Amino acid sequence: MAVIRNPRKNALIAASLVAPFVLTFALVFAYPTFQVIRLSFTDSPLIGDGEWIGLDNYWRLLSDRLFYTSLWNNGYFLLLTVVPTTALALGMALLVNKLKGRWQALVLALFFLPYILPVSVVTEIWTWMLDFQFGILQPVITLFNGDPVAVFRNPYWVMPMIALVTVWWVNGFNVLLFIAGLRNIPRDLYEAAALDGATARQRFLRVTWPLLWPITVLVLTLQLILQLKIFDQVYLLSQGGPFNTSYVPLLLVYREAFQLNEGGYASAIALVIFVIILVVSVLQFQLLRIVGRR
Amino acid sequence: MSVFRSIVTAAALATVATPALAQQEVVWWDFLSGGDGVRMAALIDRFNEEHPDINIDATTLEWGVPFYTRIRTSTAVGEGPDIMTYHLSRVPLALDEGVLSEITAEDLANAGLTTNDFYERSIAAASSDDGTLHAVPFDVHSVVLYYNRDMLEGTNYLDADGNLTGMDSLESFEAAMAALVENGVTEPLSYATADAGTTYRVFYTLFSQMGGELITDGEVLAGDNADKAVQAIEIMARWRENGWVPEQTEYPASVALFTSGRSPFHWNGVWEVPTMTDLAASGELSFDWGAVQIPALMGQLGTWADSHAFAIPQEDQPMDPEKRAAVMTVIGWMSQNSLSWAEAGHVPAFRSVAESDDFRAMEPNATYAALVETVAYDPRSQIAGVASPLYDAVQNLIVPAVDGFVTPQQAIDQMKTDLQRLIR
Amino acid sequence: MRGARKVENLVLTVCGLTAALVWIFPIYWAVVTSLRSESHVVSDDAGLLPDGFNLTAFTDALFNTQIVRWYFNSIGTALIITIGVIVSCMMCAYAISQMRFPGRRLLYGIVLASFMIPAQALVVSQFILMSDLGLVNSWAGIILPQLIVPIVIIVYKQFFDAVPKEMREAVILDGGGEYVLLFKLYLPLNWGITTALAIITFIGAWNAFFWPFLVTTTEDMMTIPVGITQVNDVFGVAYARLMAVALLAAMPVALAYLIFQRRVTEAVMISSGVKG
Repeated sequence: MAVIRNPRKNALIAASLVAPFVLTFALVFAYPTFQVIRLSFTDSPLIGDGEWIGLDNYWRLLSDRLFYTSLWNNGYFLLLTVVPTTALALGMALLVNKLKGRWQALVLALFFLPYILPVSVVTEIWTWMLDFQFGILQPVITLFNGDPVAVFRNPYWVMPMIALVTVWWVNGFNVLLFIAGLRNIPRDLYEAAALDGATARQRFLRVTWPLLWPITVLVLTLQLILQLKIFDQVYLLSQGGPFNTSYVPLLLVYREAFQLNEGGYASAIALVIFVIILVVSVLQFQLLRIVGRR
Repeated sequence: MSVFRSIVTAAALATVATPALAQQEVVWWDFLSGGDGVRMAALIDRFNEEHPDINIDATTLEWGVPFYTRIRTSTAVGEGPDIMTYHLSRVPLALDEGVLSEITAEDLANAGLTTNDFYERSIAAASSDDGTLHAVPFDVHSVVLYYNRDMLEGTNYLDADGNLTGMDSLESFEAAMAALVENGVTEPLSYATADAGTTYRVFYTLFSQMGGELITDGEVLAGDNADKAVQAIEIMARWRENGWVPEQTEYPASVALFTSGRSPFHWNGVWEVPTMTDLAASGELSFDWGAVQIPALMGQLGTWADSHAFAIPQEDQPMDPEKRAAVMTVIGWMSQNSLSWAEAGHVPAFRSVAESDDFRAMEPNATYAALVETVAYDPRSQIAGVASPLYDAVQNLIVPAVDGFVTPQQAIDQMKTDLQRLIR
Repeated sequence: MRGARKVENLVLTVCGLTAALVWIFPIYWAVVTSLRSESHVVSDDAGLLPDGFNLTAFTDALFNTQIVRWYFNSIGTALIITIGVIVSCMMCAYAISQMRFPGRRLLYGIVLASFMIPAQALVVSQFILMSDLGLVNSWAGIILPQLIVPIVIIVYKQFFDAVPKEMREAVILDGGGEYVLLFKLYLPLNWGITTALAIITFIGAWNAFFWPFLVTTTEDMMTIPVGITQVNDVFGVAYARLMAVALLAAMPVALAYLIFQRRVTEAVMISSGVKG
């Protein structure tokens, strides 16, 4: 740039601009990150000091059956949510995209509405929908199962149902992303394909799908990261039960820290979860990019 | 909750109008909802009216794990209440966590109480092993068998006065349920089958009627106690398989099954007495009801029981002596006035009230008051009590076993290992 | 051909509408339930269609819970969080995008990296920190950890990067400094993304559950999503009241959404970087 400035003054101005963020970041993010690492090597209670115990928390974690159970459950939950919600959202977006004018806005608004509800509102509504005695969906369940099912008390139903509630809640967001992606596809590509005599199916496979792939990657990645950190719905719907069939890692952190007063051990679990989330999301992102390039 | 809060505020405002008195604000947390909550709110209201110098600011939190989690966390960060309700069954665990402040002789004097005002057993339960007091007992509460007189009419199970009769063994009780089903009743016995607390209360009652002991010299379910526990679960599972109890039913729904006249029997805590009394008073209960001590189904009498108590959290910052004196005034007053609390079905821990003619004449309490002689408390251990690892185990293992997802034997084996590991 | 087109459109519209109505059935059902009396809710003749207009559940919910207090806490904390996040992130993003200063690359690297850190992994130490600062069960305690939303910086930076350099130089020639540039040029040019980010941040803060749930200990400090979970016990069997409370809790943001629907939709698209 042509204008010559006093670099010192410049740095001061820059510092004043970044200061609010950097200071808050240092206080509530960087320092706690350092603390959680430090705590994971101690036997501290939640509040108060503990002794340095080296890697003991990590060894303990390795032999903690509940930890493996919760990882497994979270994995199962990913399977039940990530790809299904992506597929469902894509389908809905294609449908909405075909609609015209006011109808399109209305249908889109209705699809999106659940997303803006607080999670506890979502769980209250679904607890009522699926209530064992009076739930409006029990006749539907009876149709398939022969009997009503107390879904959040049943080891086989609990995870799929939490997944269903979750998909219902977050799906609208994904629909929006796909619609944005569809709108970005230039019209003339479809026209060209139509001139070539491509069928609707071919148009989708040759134009829509490849051009939508980056959005699909985005949706899959966002969902994966989000659902790896599931806590709220499980806590509110099943508390991890019955017999731990819906226990998830963050619930374990909560229980150890806030119910059992094991601040050090909880920190170790939190760190391991953190590393897992990081590794999985990086791996998935790379993998999807490779698939997309092919 | 909030109605009562606005009354409290109104009372507080009223006192502001009177000449300037330094008013002590006492922050109170409890877990009392339903009929209990209404009775306690009335008591607090009366206390505030009678004490212009003290104002109780009360909050009700969710019973069980959420309540005790918040108590622990808030106390640790110095944000706890000035006074809280606490279960005596949980005192060993609380002492282990160090959340209870010692109640000194001076404190008791400020409350106008002595340990002799209470039953010895309650005081022992509220004290640490070396005998220092950490809570002031308030009541003894237990489970009873509620019954619907109208639905039992015409069966052999009502005597000439309309009282329950002929229930003296498991066989007779089960025969009664079977007969009711024959007559078209869908779920003769309602209890909250999905609720860990209720399931535990039923389980522990059956178990103790067999003479079972959960912990013997630090060993969980030692000797044939494990077999007795298995037997208790088998009975509960059978009730479910026969359709005698509603499946997977949450607490409120289980109460509704009884009050709506669907289930003639209801196994629940005495704290639901006010629900029945209130519904009957407002004409919303379409039948005549009664409540009796749980019959000796397994050979001998015995009933799960626990006690509510008042306690002061142990925080780093010691409480201002004047505030502490005010808190003790509250506790003393509550003990003296526990007759009103007895209306919520409980048996007062304060002897002069429990032994008063007024209490002895109170119904239905008088009908089941004898159960106090054979109650079975939780074992005195840091793994037992409300919201303890024992409750976790019930939720995680006994409830699924009753539901048939695991066998009773598997559940008990697992429970034995899980809990044993936690005993140091 | 045209006729077939019309039929196809009609079929699609009907399909879309049906799907949408099925999708929001749970909300419809909550509304129907909340307008019934408790005894009718559980009675056998309670059909699928709305019958009656019984507001008891709503008045009960409003007067027998602390929901008004929770609204106040939610709106207050969510507003402060939104303003705090937008202002601090905008300033930081501007510096990173438009200025040269030591540590700039490092700072942006940290921002990008912290986007990957799940805040949930930090709750234990954040709680301890709030306890040390004496902020447990206070607005400040609820707000502070929610002030870090690195994605806002990333989005802002992309938008600031795209502002033509000529416009910048014109302001500089007029003697404008960095703050003038930011607030008189970059911010007005990016009002669209600013409102979009503000809407998203507000919805996020309003709906936050985990952290406010941990850091509030008394009912009068709870936010809406946390507070309504306390209602169950107070009411006993009261499905109509539970639904009334849930609907009241959802109402403000739901209404705002239905009014500003287009804006919110755009906001989601823009801030996710899908549409420029």
